[in-house]
Formats: sequence, C-alpha cells, structure tokens
Amino acid sequence: MFFTVVLAEIKKHIKQYFFSARVLLWALLLPLGNGLYLYFLYLPFAARSVNLELNSSNYTLDLVGFTLVGQLLYSFFTMMLLAGASLERDREQGTLEAILLSPANRLAVLLGGALANALNYVWLVVGVLLSWAIFLKVNVIVNDFWALFASIFVSFLSFVALGMCLEALSVHSRRGVVYATWLQEPVMFLSGLIFPLQSMPRALLPFSYLLPLTFGLISVRLTLLGGASIFDVGIPLAILASMVLIFLTLAILVMGYAERSAKAKATLTQI
Amino acid sequence: MSKADFAVETRQLSRDYVSTRRSHFIGKKDTIVVRALDRIDFGIQEGELFGLLGPNGAGKTTTVKILCTLLEPTEGQAFVKGHDVVKESAHVRRMVNMVAGGERMLYFRLTGRENLKYFAALYDVPRKDISARVNGLLELVGLSDRADDEVEKYSKGMKQRLQICRGLINNPEVIFLDEPTLGLDVNIAKDIRKFIREKLVEEQGKTVLLTTHYMYEAEEMCDQIGFLNKGKFVAIGHPEELKRKMPSAFSFEVLATNLTDEVLDGLKRQKFAKKVITTDYEAETEGEKINRLIINADSDRATSEVLNYLATRHCRVISVNVRGPTLEDLFMFYTGEA
Repeated sequence: MFFTVVLAEIKKHIKQYFFSARVLLWALLLPLGNGLYLYFLYLPFAARSVNLELNSSNYTLDLVGFTLVGQLLYSFFTMMLLAGASLERDREQGTLEAILLSPANRLAVLLGGALANALNYVWLVVGVLLSWAIFLKVNVIVNDFWALFASIFVSFLSFVALGMCLEALSVHSRRGVVYATWLQEPVMFLSGLIFPLQSMPRALLPFSYLLPLTFGLISVRLTLLGGASIFDVGIPLAILASMVLIFLTLAILVMGYAERSAKAKATLTQI
Repeated sequence: MSKADFAVETRQLSRDYVSTRRSHFIGKKDTIVVRALDRIDFGIQEGELFGLLGPNGAGKTTTVKILCTLLEPTEGQAFVKGHDVVKESAHVRRMVNMVAGGERMLYFRLTGRENLKYFAALYDVPRKDISARVNGLLELVGLSDRADDEVEKYSKGMKQRLQICRGLINNPEVIFLDEPTLGLDVNIAKDIRKFIREKLVEEQGKTVLLTTHYMYEAEEMCDQIGFLNKGKFVAIGHPEELKRKMPSAFSFEVLATNLTDEVLDGLKRQKFAKKVITTDYEAETEGEKINRLIINADSDRATSEVLNYLATRHCRVISVNVRGPTLEDLFMFYTGEA
C-alpha cells in the first residue's frame, strides 16, 4: 500500500503542477534567467575560474560551471523548501481533511509530495543543463562517475527528506510556507552558492554546516567540475547521508505530532 | 446496550474550541473557550439514517468530525462499530467516509476519474478493482459521460455528485454526510436525497449520519432525528414521535402585513398562543412587507382569536394555513430559532 500511495501522490502533484504548457515554459525559463544573471554578475571581474578548498586540497573550478551547479542545486533546494506549499493548498481546498480521513500511510503521502516536487524539477534541470552546455560551454571534469552519481543522489535524497519535514510542518501550522520563503535569502548567502565557503566569515560557518545545500554544492561541484573522487568527497557525502536519516526521522515525528495537534486544536481547515 | 450494539455511539461527548485574542498589538493574550459540544449521548442503529439538525454553531459539524476522526473530543468517548474513534482511529478510518457540502475535498485540476482513482489508492482499494469501482460509482451518480473532464469545468451539482462518489470509494459501512445538498438546485438536491435514502440506506444497508439545515430533507429521509442546540441535544427520536410530544399540537401559519414589534409582543402575551415564531419571508404586497408567523396553540379556536387580535391592530391578513406540526415547527419549538 505504501508505494501505491506514493505513486498516486506523485501522479496527482505532477498533473496539478503541469496543468498547462505555459507553466512548463515558465518553469524552464525562470531558473535559466537566474543563472544568466549570476553569470553576468561575475563577468566584470574578469574571473574565469573559482578556487574551492576541501580537506586542505585546492580545486580550480570553471566559473560558469560553478555558477551553473550552484543555481541548479539552489533552485532545487528552494523547490523542496516550498514543498510544504502543496499541503497548504490541500488545507485551503479541504483536500487535507480528505487525505487525513483516509487510512493512507502519512509518510507515503509526504514522500509522494516531496518526490513529485523533485521530479517536476528533473526535466527542468535537463533543459537548463543543455542550454548552458550549448551556449556557455562549461568545462566539465569528471574523473569518478560514481562519485558524481552519489553526490547528486544523496543531495537529492537529503533535499527530499527536508521537503518532507516542511510538508509535515504545514499540517501543523499555516506559516510553513512563510518560514520557507524567509529562509531563501539566508540559505543563498550561507550555503556558498554565490562564493566559495572559504570566503565565508568564520562566525557564520556553523550555520552553513546546518544546511544540506552546503554539502550538496561542495560534493556536486567538486565531482562534476574538479574531478574529485568518492574518497575526496567522502566527508560531505557522509554528512549528507546522516542528514537524510535525521530529516526522515524528523518528518515521521513531526507528522505524528502535527496531525495530533491539528486534531486537538481544530486547525486542519484553518486557512 | 453494549457499545457494539450501535453502529455509532457517543458517551458524554464534549468539545471545546480554545482561541486567543490580543487586545493590543503587544498586549497580553486573552484565552477564549467556546463549548461546541456539551456531553452529548446518542446512538445510531445499524442501517439507520440519522438526521442531526440544529442552527448554525449548534455543534453538528463538530460531531461529524469527531466521529470520522478529524477532530479529537475534549471529553467523553465516541465509537464507530464498537471502535473508539481516538484510540482506534486507524481502524475507524477504514470503515467510514465523509461527504461535506460545498465545493471542497476535490482536486479541481484533476478529472473526475483521476480524483476517484487517487482516493481509491489512499484507501488501498485493490488495483484490479479500481477501474470497475470508479466506473460503477460514476454511473451510479450519472457522471460517466463527464468523467474525463477536469473538475473545475463541473457545475456545482456535478461536483457534489462526485463528492458522493469519493465518499463511497472505500465502500464505507458508516457514512457521514455534512449538509450534502447545501446550495444545490431543487432537482439535483432531490436526486441526491433519493440516492441517499434508496441506494445507500435501503439497498446497500449503510448507516448514515446526515446533518442538514433543511427540515423537509430530514423529514423526507431520516429514521431518527436529533435536535442539537448550543452543543446539547434538546430532542431525539423518530420524527412522528417527536411531533406527538410537542406540547401544543395545533399549529398554523399566518401571512400578514403591518406586524410591528409592538403587535408581535402583544400577540406573544396572549393566552391562546402557546408559542409565536416569526420567520423570514421576502415578499411585499402593495408596498407593505409581508411577515410570516407560525403559531402553536392547544386548539383550533386560537385561529379566530389570532385573526381578531390582528384585525384590531390594523394588520392585513393575507393567508392562514392550518396544519399539523412540521419538523420545522419542532425545530423552532426546541431551538427558538427560525
């Protein structure tokens, strides 16, 4: 039953999200525009590469690629931050009650919602990557394909698990989406999206290390653009994997609490 | 009777709503507690259609939501088929479903068929049975030809019929209908009432709890009714039985003009009228507003007394309709509201 519910949720979300061709077009153009904006921001500084440090090793990465990966992962992360919005919509149209009225596994509902958001993003990533490869000619250096695959996969999982937590919070509070929106700017600054982490003020680094995006950016950038091996990115990958477990556990606990609390406080239908 | 003898049963069921309000922007919060249900006890037999009636805010929807596990009671217990709705909520959810009035609980960007297939998956309907069940339900409510249109293109009545399909997708033993005909055209509402009574109750033997504002609806459909007012049951029983219990068994309706507050207060003080209720009536004659009165009395002699009284106060009587007490009279008698 678990996977039937996950599948049904994914189908529902994708149908609801891509309800017209215009939405598809905008979903493709907006991140592309943001990426171009970042690229042209760097141009006046005449820099063509960025240095990134990890475990005392220094990697020189293609600036366009650095910007591209940053923008793509950030858009994905933002999308997962806003995953809670889907349950918020359910609350508004009364379908949250219809879902919670059913015996469906709550974790399956959350997973389906988060995965649908992630899948909505996948085709978009492909489109943006193709555009960038054709027009901007990113200098890709992949020495360990499995390291790249693991980096993308574990980052993906950690973002999905975080999305599930935020979805669960939306059952409890109407402010989930507001908080997620507030988080976007600090995340952009703290994750090392625009500049390498070694330039971050030391006092702020602990906050950077709380974000899965930080470790996702390090591992994907290094394995895609710097030729890093699985051993080079072992630590960020291990941290990301731990975050997956922590976020999944949190999602289960938060969902249980949120449902009980919403039923006790009668907030399931509050808009 | 043991708890399993009833399909649905409540024991001393209460529910408080707690909210906070700040008098100033940074002032101290005041806590406001509203008791929506106050220790209610009732039971619904297997295969019975029970009508829960009452004015706005009486506690009808609260009762339904507690029984289908969407809300927790503050005190007391509720059982569905002998299972506690709080302690055994997962078990209860498999046996029940709810249909609410209005355009909620459906995904408007999905088609009718997609909506039903989605909810079938949530209820773990076996994959091989889903298509047949969905098609069967769509046919039952006459939506087969529009099943593949997006719900946002449906009329209000079609959405309500689809909601009923959603409510039946898990073939529930107990179904809660919260004002299912709210805002529907007369003909569609009639079809839905017929469907509930004939198909769900008489043919399929389902236990149904219906909340409604419409008295004729309850009168036409229900085996038992309960009047809720301010969170308490003021009367419960078979409609005919309740009518017989009404202290003033004679009732008549008067349409008249010039019914000022003074005239009405005077009428209410007369001995011949046991109870006088004014109801909304949106009509005029020769520029004068027409009021509608329902008067309960001990005997038919009260009719002439009332007419004499109104004539001496220069009120123009448009019509007098003498009849036995209706459920509407009962409702007003018990709740004091029109």
